[in-house]
Amino acid sequence: MVQDELELTLNGRAVTCRVPEGLSLLDLLREDLGLNGPKYGCGLAQCGACTVLVDGAPARACVLRARKVAGRAVTTLEGLADPETGALHPLQQAFLSREGAQCGYCLNGMIMSARALLDRIPDPTEDEIRAALRHNLCRCGAHLEIVASVREAARLMREDGGAA
Amino acid sequence: MTCALSIGKGTDLYITLTPDGQATGYNGHVDLGTGIEIALAQIVAEELDLPLSAVAIRLGNTAETPNQGPTIASETIQVAARPLRLAAAQARSWLVTQAALRLDAPAPEIETRDGACHWSGQSLPYAALLQNHAERLELDEDQPVKDPALYRVVGQPAGRRDLEAKLRGEHEFIQDVRIPGMIHGHVIRPPYAGRDSGDFIGRSLAGYDESSVRHMPGFLGIHREADFLAVLARTAPEARAIAEALKVDWHLPPPLPWMDEIVETLKDQPSTPRLLVESGDIETGLAEAETRLDRRYVWPWHLHGSIGPSCAVADWNEGTPVVWSGTQNPHMLRGDLAVLVGLPDEQIEIRRHQAAGCYGRNCADDVAGDALLLSRACGRPVRVQLTRAQETLWEPKGAAQLMEIRGGTKAGDLHAYDFASWYPSNRGPNLALLLTGRISPEPRPDTMGDRTAVPPYRIPNARIVAHDMAPIVRASWLRGVSALPNTFAHESYMDELAHEAGEDPVAFRLRQMDDPRQAELVKKTAEDAGWQAQSGPRLRREGRMAYGQGFAFATYVHGPFPGVAAASAAWVVDVAVDCETGEVTLSRVFVGQDQGLVINPDGVRQQIHGNVIQTASRVLAEEVSFDEIRVSDQSFADYPITTFPQLPEVQTMVVARPGDPPLGVGESAAVPAAAAIANAIFDATGVRMREVPFTPEKMRAAMGVSSAPEAPALPAPDRRPLKAKLVAGAIGLMGLAGLGAVSLPLARAIAPVVPSVSASAEELARGQMLFAAGNCASCHTAPGGAPNAGGKPIETPFGTVYSTNLTPDPETGLGRWSFPAFARAMRKGISRDGRNLYPAFPYTSFAGMEEADLKALYAYLQNLDPVFAKTPEAQMQVPRPAMAAWNLLTPRATATVADPAQDALWNRGRYLVETVGHCSACHSPRNALGAEDPRQALRGATIRDWFAPALAGPEAGARGWDVDSLTTYLATGTAPGLSAASGPMAEVIAGTSQLPGDDLRAMATYLASLAEGTAAPSAPAMQPLPDRIHRLYESACASCHEPAFDGMVSAAQVPLSQAPALRAPGPETARTVIREGLRAPDGTALRDMPGFAAELSDSDIAALARYLRARYAPELSEWD
Repeated sequence: MVQDELELTLNGRAVTCRVPEGLSLLDLLREDLGLNGPKYGCGLAQCGACTVLVDGAPARACVLRARKVAGRAVTTLEGLADPETGALHPLQQAFLSREGAQCGYCLNGMIMSARALLDRIPDPTEDEIRAALRHNLCRCGAHLEIVASVREAARLMREDGGAA
Repeated sequence: MTCALSIGKGTDLYITLTPDGQATGYNGHVDLGTGIEIALAQIVAEELDLPLSAVAIRLGNTAETPNQGPTIASETIQVAARPLRLAAAQARSWLVTQAALRLDAPAPEIETRDGACHWSGQSLPYAALLQNHAERLELDEDQPVKDPALYRVVGQPAGRRDLEAKLRGEHEFIQDVRIPGMIHGHVIRPPYAGRDSGDFIGRSLAGYDESSVRHMPGFLGIHREADFLAVLARTAPEARAIAEALKVDWHLPPPLPWMDEIVETLKDQPSTPRLLVESGDIETGLAEAETRLDRRYVWPWHLHGSIGPSCAVADWNEGTPVVWSGTQNPHMLRGDLAVLVGLPDEQIEIRRHQAAGCYGRNCADDVAGDALLLSRACGRPVRVQLTRAQETLWEPKGAAQLMEIRGGTKAGDLHAYDFASWYPSNRGPNLALLLTGRISPEPRPDTMGDRTAVPPYRIPNARIVAHDMAPIVRASWLRGVSALPNTFAHESYMDELAHEAGEDPVAFRLRQMDDPRQAELVKKTAEDAGWQAQSGPRLRREGRMAYGQGFAFATYVHGPFPGVAAASAAWVVDVAVDCETGEVTLSRVFVGQDQGLVINPDGVRQQIHGNVIQTASRVLAEEVSFDEIRVSDQSFADYPITTFPQLPEVQTMVVARPGDPPLGVGESAAVPAAAAIANAIFDATGVRMREVPFTPEKMRAAMGVSSAPEAPALPAPDRRPLKAKLVAGAIGLMGLAGLGAVSLPLARAIAPVVPSVSASAEELARGQMLFAAGNCASCHTAPGGAPNAGGKPIETPFGTVYSTNLTPDPETGLGRWSFPAFARAMRKGISRDGRNLYPAFPYTSFAGMEEADLKALYAYLQNLDPVFAKTPEAQMQVPRPAMAAWNLLTPRATATVADPAQDALWNRGRYLVETVGHCSACHSPRNALGAEDPRQALRGATIRDWFAPALAGPEAGARGWDVDSLTTYLATGTAPGLSAASGPMAEVIAGTSQLPGDDLRAMATYLASLAEGTAAPSAPAMQPLPDRIHRLYESACASCHEPAFDGMVSAAQVPLSQAPALRAPGPETARTVIREGLRAPDGTALRDMPGFAAELSDSDIAALARYLRARYAPELSEWD
């Protein structure tokens, strides 16, 4: 199999790795780079558990080939907290205080999608939150707590002056 | 740290205290994703008067926790926490005794608080009392426990402990476990997906061909035991790729019963009636009934649908295996694994990790068996991750169920109730045991159909029967077990009786209830929810919407009959029914619940929410599908689950009963769901739904709303339909071949030379540009092969040809080709040796290239790095000499004469488009001989299942292309809002994107001039009636084709209303794309699409293509 060096920025750090042609970004992140945030749920962009941000925009890492992010900046759940202090991102704080999870397997996708939402709409309505998360599946039925967590995060981020 | 105090029973340990005053509780149950750990910690902290932070809980590991059975039946708090509570209380007593000695104080006067003993102004921390002790106490079953009135920790909200690590991506789910030296296994399951009984189980693998995969990267081996088959590889993606490539022969399994007909199928299977209750005289009671109702209720097969497919790691560890597992039943799993590998239980250790939410017996145990077999075979730690499809196909399903009731009322009261239930389910024998033949594949009936089989009402004459039966497909416990369907029947029936009696259904129930605690819950729920009394369906309508309210109640009784009662729950649900589409929306669900003492109110509320949302999804939308042989659903595409926009408002009312023992809450709020919804639908529409799920199609049918007739199921689409169409052409050409062989001379060979490779930088650059414009690399590079060394198979209607090696390798490439030989090939399609080239090589276009351009291209090719690569022989139905005749009949490009009426840019564009760019090769229709039809030049064509849309004429004009958008498209592959290149065109873009801007603009200028007329706005998408294919689109396609975010990086780049595949004359392209997906060339901004060939049946793909055409190209003719 032909392999090329792939360079990308992962959670603020430059990374170089050899990537087989068909390798998904999800497999690169989990199998090669040892991350646990993005999760394998369906492999077909149906559930959203693998969501990451690429240059700030959400992406389903299971259907995105790693080579397609060459030269781009990838942010995963691990990259949300403050890299210096380890302080939780307001979204993480809100999901903690509102318990926006039961098993927490879908949590990565909920938070990364919510991050993309709040970047675009800082004060979303409940309907806007539901619409933004409409392709993120949760089987435990933690939806109400998740929506409450996103609203709380929006409040925290507004109080922070949108600093995060 | 060593233990200062430990309390257990025999070898089972329940609690330990260390000299620092910290406590650890041990429980054999596991956290299924509910956060149960914190509730157990609260119980220990309460009894020990320790701060919550000083209590740790260990769950499920076989090496340290007692065997308390599987984590089922909502038993953890109600049953499994009991010894923990006693042990904590006993530890406190011991500490008080020690303090009494040290303080010389009477024990009853010593108060415990915050991890210390207090008496008369003196304090002794537990740590001080525990120093220099190593006590082991036997659990005292009669140990007094704390009076709940004094509780400080229990009953208060307490935050989850695992959440922060999960939020940081640091929690180690079972899918995240990595062991040093670990390799990866990928299982290959038999074709009898989801089946567990019959002679063919364990005997269907005919063979496999290791040579088909041995060369693949990462390959480490294949392991087989009977029907258990798996590959081993270095990495997980490698293992998966190898497993998918391995050639395997299976015997065809026998057919399943007709699974769509649940009633007949369940009744046809062997079953044994088991009488659960007999009171009064049922036949007399029925005869005395003044109102008689005989009813049948049906429940479908359901999936667990955990978001994360199961995973396990096993280390054989030289015969003392360690298995890392997300199991629900660590001790039961250990027993199964012991049988699987022939070891005593104690020699196997299960280390339990959290998995994705678990609602019953899913594949977690099966995959542990897989991993252990593989680790034993290779002697290394092995991880096995199931795919979504494997989990979906093989997980033991929530069983279908049939409930039949004969009964009636006398003097307005329930008088006779003859209830029978069929539930084909068991405890889910481990799949590895079945596949390897370690246990026999006989039908194994069980007795779990009796859960909540007795309704909570006074019945003078009752007969309750459970028909015990083996599964038909693997089926085992899933949240609510048989209690959920049984209650659907009981509580729908009660509503039907109330309606017959013209009485309010809540009032009717209350009159039949003897238990004051249950009656209080029913009353309070109705009051707090604002129950609107009804004496028949109220049929409230506003426009097309009908509104209704429904009630249902259940005490969830689990465990072997007569069972144990968990929490009771009542639902009041408000629904809205769209009378045109049949969609049922839950606007509000109010749940009242009585669970006795509440340990953690947050946890209780979350369980109610989860039960409501998950069960509403099951009731409104979910059912497993089957084909003739097996389960057919493979992902959320064909088994959609609820999503955020469908969420109801959920209100909860938790009855405060701190003086009563805590009851399990994991399932209770689910149990009344189906009946409450059915009863609300009845109130809204007068339609009684007795078969779950209440899909829009079923609602439309029940309401008598006409839907568009379902198109008949299609036969499996031909993978290469073009072939069949062009048979006539091929025959014509064969006729010509005969002629050619007789009368037409073959071309002569041109002598090999050692070409001069000198060329100016300018000439090389020009050659490189032409090479890109002609997109030569795309056809002349084999998948995974060296660039430009040929060997790529190109399928034509007449057979398969292979592209040639363009590199200057003397033996296999162009290394001995003179320029005249090269020019002749480009213009006339004749190879250096005189053989005719097949016109898959577009020499009919290249013929028009200028001499200087051919020279530059030649020079460029001769300066490539030579690669030795032989071109495989073509497999064609037409002999090469016949191409000479074909050539005589086929016109050539003649673009070299400039059109004086047009400017230089246009003329340059025409030259690039019509010669080197050879756009017509795909975009012009071909005649029966397979030659481009000059009268239809660039008017759009279907080629090798791909649709190349019109570039000329009114069709092109209607799409709204202009020079700017065409330029952008050729440069990047996308024209925002108009198109994104896919399939073969994406390969073309990989070439054109390298062209100079002037040339792109020139091509765009010429192409834009070919379009006629003005842009027509695309018709608005049609809103389809919701049905199964609509749901499939919403769950499998919409996340990328109607993404929730603009700019989503993995989403489609243009809307489906612009997709050329949906505007093609026939459905072939759309089906091909759905089946095979798209792979965009690296280095372009274009995107991939996953293929669905493995996920969806051919008939579903055909139906989906038809749906997309009707929805997104409504102005065009429908596809068959």
